[in-house]
Amino acid sequence: MYAKSFKWLLAILAGLAQAQAASTDDDCKGTSSECVAVGKWNFSVALGAGLRSNPLVTGKNIPLVVIPQFSYYGNRFFINDLDLGFTLVENTTNTFSLVGSPGYDRVFFYRSDLQNIFIGLPGLGTYVAQRVPASTPNAVQFPARARRITYLAGPEWTFKLSGISGQLDALHDITNQNNGTEMRAALGIPLVESKGSLTANVGVTWKSAAIVNYYYGSPGIYEAGSALNPFFKLGYTLPLAGKWRFSAFAEYERLGNAIANSPIVEERFVATAFVGAIYTF
Amino acid sequence: MARRTIVPAFVLAVLMSGAQTTAAAASDPSGDGIRLELSPRICTLAIDDKQCETWVHARWRSPHEESLCLVIVDRPEVKRCWENYTEGTYNIELVFTEDVIFQLKDLDLRRVLASEALRVIKAAIHYRHKRRQPWNLFD
Repeated sequence: MYAKSFKWLLAILAGLAQAQAASTDDDCKGTSSECVAVGKWNFSVALGAGLRSNPLVTGKNIPLVVIPQFSYYGNRFFINDLDLGFTLVENTTNTFSLVGSPGYDRVFFYRSDLQNIFIGLPGLGTYVAQRVPASTPNAVQFPARARRITYLAGPEWTFKLSGISGQLDALHDITNQNNGTEMRAALGIPLVESKGSLTANVGVTWKSAAIVNYYYGSPGIYEAGSALNPFFKLGYTLPLAGKWRFSAFAEYERLGNAIANSPIVEERFVATAFVGAIYTF
Repeated sequence: MARRTIVPAFVLAVLMSGAQTTAAAASDPSGDGIRLELSPRICTLAIDDKQCETWVHARWRSPHEESLCLVIVDRPEVKRCWENYTEGTYNIELVFTEDVIFQLKDLDLRRVLASEALRVIKAAIHYRHKRRQPWNLFD
């Protein structure tokens, strides 16, 4: 059903692209917080101290210390860390793209997951989540199995209206690991914009039952439905000398019942906080 | 250090065939047969480049003995003079972002005998919107 819906969405977006092919961006005249040079690689690294909690039973928290970031924007194609995209239609307010993005939940199971390299301190393939000791009361052991890297793809709509930016992604697993679907929706709301800027982000992630069970379920032991994870984030950035800028943020994501009720999950939230500085090369 | 591409003279001849006539004429404004040549004659700045940095080789020739000075417009610190010579060369390392004009002048620095430009061509830079992604951790 999802695959059929995706085809329809793609057809609509392709039609929009035809109708508004090569839409220009007259308001982008130089590099800014909104605009970027076409054909140029952008590299930056965040250095600081932070942590992302791991909701899994005996899961180890993920340190945030060195966080490399990179991006490249062609006329339509773009790379944004581990995300790939192709912009179909773009104007000053709206952008419609086809994007690909890694499945997110694997970060809690493998320290070596690429997303942890771009989020925190890379490990050496260590397993973030440990097996529950047999002596643990009420412990439920899942048969050991791998959660492979998954990559999701689908249409994305982003917009900016009265200073508020929005993002809506409808993504489907294209790696044939779980054939699940994920919806990502968020708003970025500027609260203070003076020398520094304070921004609040609110959003939700909806994961289909296929994704929830791929990561947090086990046939015959725990089989759940879909999950809706709302999150809230507060971020502050302040330009410093040269190419440095101060950055701090705190995020709280509440896990949907289907995930939080899994026997391998002991916390029903994921908290992330970071304080540091970003250097742009 | 910024990168830059120095285009060899033969490429320039193809790329700037239209400007070549002007440049040649400018190198001999008095009609005295004094010719000034620069190598390289063009610097192209790519999208990431901020400035050109290169050694420039200037060479002049005349069918008659001349007393003159080589100067660079807006760079009074650069001056090399010859008395009763028919040719001369001068090498200098330059850092520049705009065209650099070399001139041969008489010893009083009043009359321009020849002129040649080292041109800067900047790649056209286009801009577009960054991806807006409030869902992402760092945005």
